[in-house]
Amino acid sequence: MTGQLIISGLTIGSIYAMLALAMSIIYKASEIPNFAQGDMGMISTYIAYMILVVHGWPFWMAFAGAMIFAVILGFLFEFLFIRRAKEPNILNLIIVTLGFQLFLYGMTGWRWGSDQRRLGMPFSETDTINVGGVVISHLGVATILTSIIIMVMLWFFLSRTKLGLAMKAVQQNPMAAEINGIPKDRILGISFAISSVIGAMAGMMIAPITTLDPNMMWDPLMKGFAAAVLGGMTSLPGAIIGGYLLGIIENLFGFYVSLEFKSVVAFLIIVLVLVFKPAGILGHHYVRKV
Amino acid sequence: MMKYLNRIVPVLFIAAFTLFIACERGGDATGVTEDEIVIGSWGPLTGPGALWGNILRGMDAYFDMVNEEGGIHGRNVRFVYRDDGYEPPRTVSAVRQMVQNDNVFAFVGGIGTAPSMAVKDYIIENNIPWVGPLTGSTHFAYPPQENIFALFPLYAREGAVHAEYALDELGAERIAIIYQNDDYGRGGLIGAEMILEERGMDFVERLSVEITDSDLSSHAARLRQSGADMVMMWLLPRQAAIIMGNTAVLGYNPTWMASSALGDMGLMIDITEGRWEGVLFSMFGEMPYSDHEQMQAYRAAFEKKYPDLRWGLFASSGFVFAEVLVEGLERAGRDLTRQSLIEAMETFEGWQGVGAEVTFAPGVRQGSSSLYLVKAKGGLDYEILTDFMDSDIDIDEAIRRLR
Repeated sequence: MTGQLIISGLTIGSIYAMLALAMSIIYKASEIPNFAQGDMGMISTYIAYMILVVHGWPFWMAFAGAMIFAVILGFLFEFLFIRRAKEPNILNLIIVTLGFQLFLYGMTGWRWGSDQRRLGMPFSETDTINVGGVVISHLGVATILTSIIIMVMLWFFLSRTKLGLAMKAVQQNPMAAEINGIPKDRILGISFAISSVIGAMAGMMIAPITTLDPNMMWDPLMKGFAAAVLGGMTSLPGAIIGGYLLGIIENLFGFYVSLEFKSVVAFLIIVLVLVFKPAGILGHHYVRKV
Repeated sequence: MMKYLNRIVPVLFIAAFTLFIACERGGDATGVTEDEIVIGSWGPLTGPGALWGNILRGMDAYFDMVNEEGGIHGRNVRFVYRDDGYEPPRTVSAVRQMVQNDNVFAFVGGIGTAPSMAVKDYIIENNIPWVGPLTGSTHFAYPPQENIFALFPLYAREGAVHAEYALDELGAERIAIIYQNDDYGRGGLIGAEMILEERGMDFVERLSVEITDSDLSSHAARLRQSGADMVMMWLLPRQAAIIMGNTAVLGYNPTWMASSALGDMGLMIDITEGRWEGVLFSMFGEMPYSDHEQMQAYRAAFEKKYPDLRWGLFASSGFVFAEVLVEGLERAGRDLTRQSLIEAMETFEGWQGVGAEVTFAPGVRQGSSSLYLVKAKGGLDYEILTDFMDSDIDIDEAIRRLR
């Protein structure tokens, strides 16, 4: 049974990991926790739904369409709102992300209503693979694989491409990066676009497990945020490990300890992390120079 | 002098305004004119509960139908409904607006326990007749209020009916329950629990779900481990779809028995990828897809008014509740006042439209609490398993356990 719980936890944990990763990328680049992350993914998933179910086109087109939409949405958000903020401080920018989240939520309700819908995926939710008594659905396998593929691609991008290195440079020292001719604003736009794509992937993977509706990302986003804090907020591997760990802990806790407190265990973990290791599992202790 | 004037003028103004409002309201025939009766309602047209918005649209289509057929004693119904997004503070302002600006004569429906609780006292204070709040919570008819006529089956009674059927007809031996941790889910839990206790039994597993939960895999594992042959489900459609998916992954297929809140077959079949087939659930009115003549007429009326919307349980519920109010207005006659409507409602004795039989009397404000069970058979096919049933559990005891 424990093995089963760990595998189920890993599946939902992959979703948390993707959202944690998406939030950490932006946090590293701008110190903003982007609370619109979930609903940006949600609306991209609706685009996939439109292409797949309403127009009846094949899955790869829906997937590509949603990803292209996510890139544009990420860029636009940064370009239209974040960059426009005059004399921005972190608090103002957080409020901008919350405002954008409300805007997207309202738009979705207006355009699609809040009926629950089904996003059909090519991976079955109930066909299962049985490995030594532990079962996992094809969808579960796809979810875990997606999170791993994203990780590998992101690692490759950040350490092996010029653009990725430029991103890291901006994250580490914006002023020095600018002096060296790296366009800081554009790099930030790219960070938003990448995290928007990762959020959209998470949205597309969770919609078949739950249902497609405007509220579907609220709970996963909160968990993703908790996972990011658990991982250290500034560490990408930390965010991923945080996501997997949270999914597993939640599931074990729900089964063996208390279902009533299953959904708050994430926040108990945050409290513990902040008390004992404020920098998170893999984060570097952050000291602001004054 | 000027100094005082600055203070006196606003105070006088406010006093005059208050007096004006006070005179404006009251008056037993508010909302009734020579050729019109104003009826109000509210519910979520936006936000997480918006799928229930079709209840309001069903009522809207119904009143149109009534008007087309000549109205009620020479008067047409003007139906006013407002969106509260299922947020109680917004319900309060919506209802105040309807009372103060639209001068509604009576309310019908009103969706959800929490929003309805937020306006209950206000509607009682103003003694506005209110027929059929859409909630099976006990707060509206226990203790009875002069002006509130409850129609929705009590959740506790529904839970009890389920348990009796599961034990007596299906011979279930190991029953588990998964319920939403609020008035709705706990109502069902307590009703069923009281029946099990009578038989010296208990649930083999009871699992609570929070409304925000999106992963129920540990719930599924607990259910499988309990070895229950029957699982009662008191959830919202979203969580019902999640738990049925999660248990299917584990290869665990018990008999599911669901509350009437999960009775929209079209929706449930779709979001559970067809796993809804075989589920037993309760209904408090004719099936929306039934060939019952009146229901067919309602369906036509709805599809005429809202050709783009899906006909299903929620739209048809609008008709089920509103037709009781219209029958009351018919009985009250041409000299319509709030008092005469209340007296007319008290004459209901086993009256039946497309819902269950309705009976009110002085001091009796729960008009019906019967349900029947249906088995989903794939697509929109279904099999009706029982006639209307009721349970005689002790409601006072149920209320005591709920508090």
